[in-house]
Amino acid sequence: MKRIFVDYKKCLACKACETACAIEHHPGHSLLAALGDRKTQVNVRVLGIEHEAFPLSCRHCEPAECLNACPSGAITRDPETGAVLLNPALCKACAMCAMVCPFDAISFKHTHRAPFDRDVAYKCDLCNERIKEGGTPACVEACHSGALIYAEYDATRSSRAAKSLRTYLLGAEGMPPLLELFRELRRKEFARRSGGV
Amino acid sequence: MRVVTVGTGMAAAEFVQRLRLDGFDGEIVMCSDEDFAPYSPCVIPFYLAGEPLDTVYWKGKNFYDQYRVTARLGDPVVEVDAERNLVRTAAGRSETYDRLFYATGARSWYPRPDWLQTTGVFGFKTLTDMVAIDRYVRKQGITKAVVFGGGFIGVDAALALWHRGLEITLVHRNTRLLSQMTDEDGGQFATRKLAEKTGIKIRLKSTVEEITARNGQLASVRFSDGSTMETALLIVSIGVSPNSEPLRGDDKGVPSDPQMQAETGIYTAGDVAVTRHAVTGASGIYATYPNAMQQARTAARHLLHNDGAFSGSVNTNVLKKHIDFPIVSAGSFSGEAVTWQDGDIWRRVYLQDGKINGYIIIGDTRMSGYIYQLYLSRKRVDQTILKTLSAPQHDSYYRSMLGLGGSAMAMA
Repeated sequence: MKRIFVDYKKCLACKACETACAIEHHPGHSLLAALGDRKTQVNVRVLGIEHEAFPLSCRHCEPAECLNACPSGAITRDPETGAVLLNPALCKACAMCAMVCPFDAISFKHTHRAPFDRDVAYKCDLCNERIKEGGTPACVEACHSGALIYAEYDATRSSRAAKSLRTYLLGAEGMPPLLELFRELRRKEFARRSGGV
Repeated sequence: MRVVTVGTGMAAAEFVQRLRLDGFDGEIVMCSDEDFAPYSPCVIPFYLAGEPLDTVYWKGKNFYDQYRVTARLGDPVVEVDAERNLVRTAAGRSETYDRLFYATGARSWYPRPDWLQTTGVFGFKTLTDMVAIDRYVRKQGITKAVVFGGGFIGVDAALALWHRGLEITLVHRNTRLLSQMTDEDGGQFATRKLAEKTGIKIRLKSTVEEITARNGQLASVRFSDGSTMETALLIVSIGVSPNSEPLRGDDKGVPSDPQMQAETGIYTAGDVAVTRHAVTGASGIYATYPNAMQQARTAARHLLHNDGAFSGSVNTNVLKKHIDFPIVSAGSFSGEAVTWQDGDIWRRVYLQDGKINGYIIIGDTRMSGYIYQLYLSRKRVDQTILKTLSAPQHDSYYRSMLGLGGSAMAMA
């Protein structure tokens, strides 16, 4: 089964993934519709920590703590894709899932998918409909720097583990020189702003 | 092989589903005192709050057909005869078994059972309760209610009826709501915020002493300070006791071994089962869904494959219902307290030997999963925990993974 992998050192923090996710999950399927709409749902977020940045979303764990904790039958796994899915029609926003998710991947909001007049839990759905039709998740498609890739889980893990740690962290093709330069500049800028070098 | 479950609750439904999904082809009989398909007690208050009844059937309304179950409903099991391998019901029916799954859950405990004979006084535990309350509120046009008991179930009841638009008075004996889930400070913070956010009137250090009826219907209640209040609806939710009498002869729960057996051939799980805590080792009833689910799966696996063991219960819980104001807690509230608060958010971790002994997180859930994992993994966190609790981006997990815990200079 395929999963989204994050080569975090390639992330430029452009947030194209967030934008693409918002559009993909908005009923209007357009940027103009999603902008300024309080019900817009973004299932991925780019987290900046010091000079690093990287996109975070659900890892579709196996076994999944959230799925085992959900008392309303709202969280299931698609046997075909392995995606952990959340059905807002059954979700009571009771937060049992969020209480045990190690990655803070589940949030609450009155989204467009909330059928009752209250918040529901929402999380990454791996763009399950897209990938079932042979496509890739919207965030991966939008990522231009190679920080997000959609690849076979076991094969990617083992091929990276078999090579050096550097390859494991950075992906098979390593770091393009321009990206190395970008990271160097970002590191120096962060150090300068925090009163360092 | 003939498998009988006493109870059709979440543990029993999980157990039966696991057996069938794992290829069990024998006969399965499920017995219950109620008349419903397996439902989620966590979900049923939302029916009262106005959401559709069908969402309570968390494994499907056609559960019994789907998993080829003979359902014996509306007739409580009153005796387990382990020598003859049979159970007897109140109506005089008996069912023989090769393996028994005893998961009868718990029932409301009433200080004055006679109050229930008055129309307008209800418990708040079963779907039968919810359907009765809903019908009563609709037919009588009820606009206000008194909820007696401010533990998890009482607060759930108060919030569900508040969400429906009723004016609520919540009466609680203790100095704070949710006194089992919180310490004094956290509980008072949560109580104050819940009152602010909902307008529910909360009477602490108070009880309902007496009720008066008019033509068999509730007219008013009298509180412990002598004052009275007119109301036609009283919810009594001050405690529960496990339904262990038919198997054990008392209401102290059903002790279990690591395979979830009460005795050879009799499994138990859920809110009636006494298990060991995964962290502290203390025996007790840990009545949450995730515990019940793991216990039921352990029993199903042992029945079919004769292997596996339950890893222990965890007393983690969250109350976030009908309002976006979660209250999360786990463990025990003793040791060195580390606290952080900002506006509506209040977080406290209790440390012992540098490890998390217990925690309370109020106002948001954003770091609760990470703290939960730190609690279970028994990691030393005394050097970092305050930073974790106060991190504005809730990024402590990722900082630790990247090795970016310290200063910028360390990385420069």
